[in-house]
Amino acid sequence: MTVTPAKTSAKTTISGLPQRGRVSWFEIILLAVCAIWVALGLAPTLQDVVVLSFLFGGLALAWNIAGGCAGLISFGHAAFFGIGAYTSTILFQSYNLTPWLGIFVGAVAAALAGAVLSVICARLKGPFFILSSLAFSEVVRIIVLNWSSVTGGAEGLSIPPVPDLANMVLGSKTAYEALMLAYLALAYAITRWLEASRIGFYLFAVRDNDDAAAAAGINPLMVRSLAMAMSAALTGIGGTLFAQYFLYLDPTYVVSPELSFQFALLPAVGGLGTAIGPILGSFLITPLSELLRANLGNAAAGLHLVFYSVGLIIVMLYFPSGIAGAIDKLRQPRSPP
Amino acid sequence: MSALLQVENVIHTFGATRAVDDVSFAVQPGELVGLIGPNGAGKSTLFNLIAGVMPPSRGRIVVNGADVTGWKPYEMARAGVARTFQIPKPYRQLSVIENVMISAFLQEPTVVAAHELADVTLTDLGLAPYRDRLAGELTVGLLKRLEVARALAMRPKLVLFDEIMAGLTPTEVGAMTEVVARLPERGITVIWVEHVLYAIMRTATRMVVINRGSVIAEGAPAAVARDPAVVKAYLGEEIQLA
Amino acid sequence: MTTIIQLMVSGLLIGSIYALMSMGLTLIFGVLRVVNFAHGEFLMIAMYGAWAFNRLLGLNPYFAAIAVVPAMFLFGALVYRVVIGSALDKPHLVVVFATMGLSIFLQNAALMAMTADLRDVPPIFARSISIGHIFIKGELLLGFVVTLCCTLTLQWVIKHTFLGKAIRATVQDGEAAKLMGIAVPKIFLITFAAGSALVGLAACVMVPLFSVFPTVGLNFVLIAFVIVVLGGMGSIEGALLGGFCVGVVQSVSAYYVAPAFGQLFFFLLFLLVTIFRPNGLLGQKGAATLGMNE
Repeated sequence: MTVTPAKTSAKTTISGLPQRGRVSWFEIILLAVCAIWVALGLAPTLQDVVVLSFLFGGLALAWNIAGGCAGLISFGHAAFFGIGAYTSTILFQSYNLTPWLGIFVGAVAAALAGAVLSVICARLKGPFFILSSLAFSEVVRIIVLNWSSVTGGAEGLSIPPVPDLANMVLGSKTAYEALMLAYLALAYAITRWLEASRIGFYLFAVRDNDDAAAAAGINPLMVRSLAMAMSAALTGIGGTLFAQYFLYLDPTYVVSPELSFQFALLPAVGGLGTAIGPILGSFLITPLSELLRANLGNAAAGLHLVFYSVGLIIVMLYFPSGIAGAIDKLRQPRSPP
Repeated sequence: MSALLQVENVIHTFGATRAVDDVSFAVQPGELVGLIGPNGAGKSTLFNLIAGVMPPSRGRIVVNGADVTGWKPYEMARAGVARTFQIPKPYRQLSVIENVMISAFLQEPTVVAAHELADVTLTDLGLAPYRDRLAGELTVGLLKRLEVARALAMRPKLVLFDEIMAGLTPTEVGAMTEVVARLPERGITVIWVEHVLYAIMRTATRMVVINRGSVIAEGAPAAVARDPAVVKAYLGEEIQLA
Repeated sequence: MTTIIQLMVSGLLIGSIYALMSMGLTLIFGVLRVVNFAHGEFLMIAMYGAWAFNRLLGLNPYFAAIAVVPAMFLFGALVYRVVIGSALDKPHLVVVFATMGLSIFLQNAALMAMTADLRDVPPIFARSISIGHIFIKGELLLGFVVTLCCTLTLQWVIKHTFLGKAIRATVQDGEAAKLMGIAVPKIFLITFAAGSALVGLAACVMVPLFSVFPTVGLNFVLIAFVIVVLGGMGSIEGALLGGFCVGVVQSVSAYYVAPAFGQLFFFLLFLLVTIFRPNGLLGQKGAATLGMNE
């Protein structure tokens, strides 16, 4: 389901359209446009949507490291998101640790959780893995909901909405746009770096055929744990950023299966295993779901989701390789062997 | 000269069936050993035991003096033992050269050096024209060659071939036989399980014949071909009902 | 002492009903090798159907089974035709997302049609049955009986009918089954529809015990998944056993720890099983490591 890999001899140049293994002009221009958009402060009424699109773009890329590159389709990533968000927030509220540092602690905590999940699911594949990741996430959610003394239970946690740069509470939506775009860019850079590195190759090998990978000297459990830990850490960072933007953590959303589903959906629609896919997925779906909610949410409760879900089914059945896959097919019709 | 591989009194049972029944043999460095026998004889099981896919029920496997019994496949690979898969297991979404690079990383940890090694290996096996093709698009013949390329890119001390000739055209068989025959000169010892007998009989330095889980003959190819026990095993009334 | 016995009895009974609800899922997985993430919503739809039957005709929801079960069979066949069938030869993720999409669709269609109000069916039995100091709700006992009958019927069909043989052949080797003249796509269709019909039966038994609302499926689908994995994917008897385990664990832990933690314990049970016995208690060896499309 990935786009065709770049010819390895051409890896040092920049390609036109997206390819695995090298940066393309398409992505550079896209990121540049985003940066300019933020700098110019365009579309002030849409800033919430823009912030979310960037954030979820980064979260989609984070999920993609485990799901797209290593083949670990997880529906439990909300657990890592929540661990990151809650860790930094609790450290801030109870110990006055600035979220600029707390974000790293959250990332480490999420990474550990990711490694634990990986070990639990060491021998599982396919739907078994998916279900286990779901169960894992549910365990985390129930703990968060019930450990009220630490997590605030069902009431959640809130951060005072007082702009405070030293504690990552920014003054303007434009500033948040910039923060989220930086996160997106970081996630993108990590993905591109992975694709060109030995570790990244090991991820792909374990995804495509882990018997063959083992026969080549790769320890599949170690590689999967590493992939999950990286993915979880990056997701946890997104969690902290989310907490610092919304300034309120609602456990029924933050560690929910619905959120986990979103993390998996965006890369799937955009193109699994690619660097551009998750970004495209987020840029398409995040505004679309907000648009649908705004326009149809009033007509009848649930109508917007009816359209959303039907659209999803159609996309999955007819474009299984996602947007990136569709672009790739246009660019390069398959030649016979 | 101590043996590269020593299989000592290995027994392996699946439930009540003894697939490998007290097998012992040694392989010296530089040998090209052919492992043959009728269907159901236990060759694949023995092969998988040596490759580390599962630990033997009893017995020891020793590589270069080190007891590797029960070692996992990736540990065997790191110990210098490479293997091919009878049904090819390519990384379908990666290109041919990337498939080989994965194996090459064992010896060359940087992307550039692994790429080099992979390139050279592909050229050796005539796969250079397919370098950038997706492995998932290749025909069976090419995939089998890719299996061999991946094994060789690991610069192994010992390589285990599992029916690499099955499904190949006569020309391809000839080309592959030449590649395999040259391996001992490069310092690579070979254990080769095969059904395409004319290829293996010409190239092996020693044959080991398995039937019903036991070694029934061992020696030079010509001698083994005339051995009455071997002839009976292949052509006789004993029908394997495994 | 009586408390423990009461908890265990209640747990076993409710567990049997959970098992009934999960049998369709395990059957579908065993044959098609797909997990229907909209399973909970199938249950929800059937429960609304049983409730409507009761409201409109004043009939006992158990009688609703006459209409609900065949209706669910047809519904399952429709879903297979439209969504599942064409997704089977695509990468596994497609079925996952397609059924998840279906789940969201059904939840929200129900929300639009029925609103979020809880719907209930009045209790069928006026009093609980008592055996010694143990009290048993009539609806629970009836559910238990229905589940046992269903299990036995299914086992009989699988072992003694041609359809059952065809299903077993397809499970063991789809390619060989095709070569033997078994219309595998038809088997898939029938199995998916039958699994949905089973859900319909479970819904009729559950409606006197649980309120219906659009998202009720979410609670139950996770329970169903746990039961299916615990019992071994594809095993009917395993689903029954898994159901008993889950029912008892939930019952006992809800009493001794806290109701909120009832769910936590069976998720932990699930995770323990996946670590130590990924094939489940009665599943095929290697089932968990086969995954999909290999």
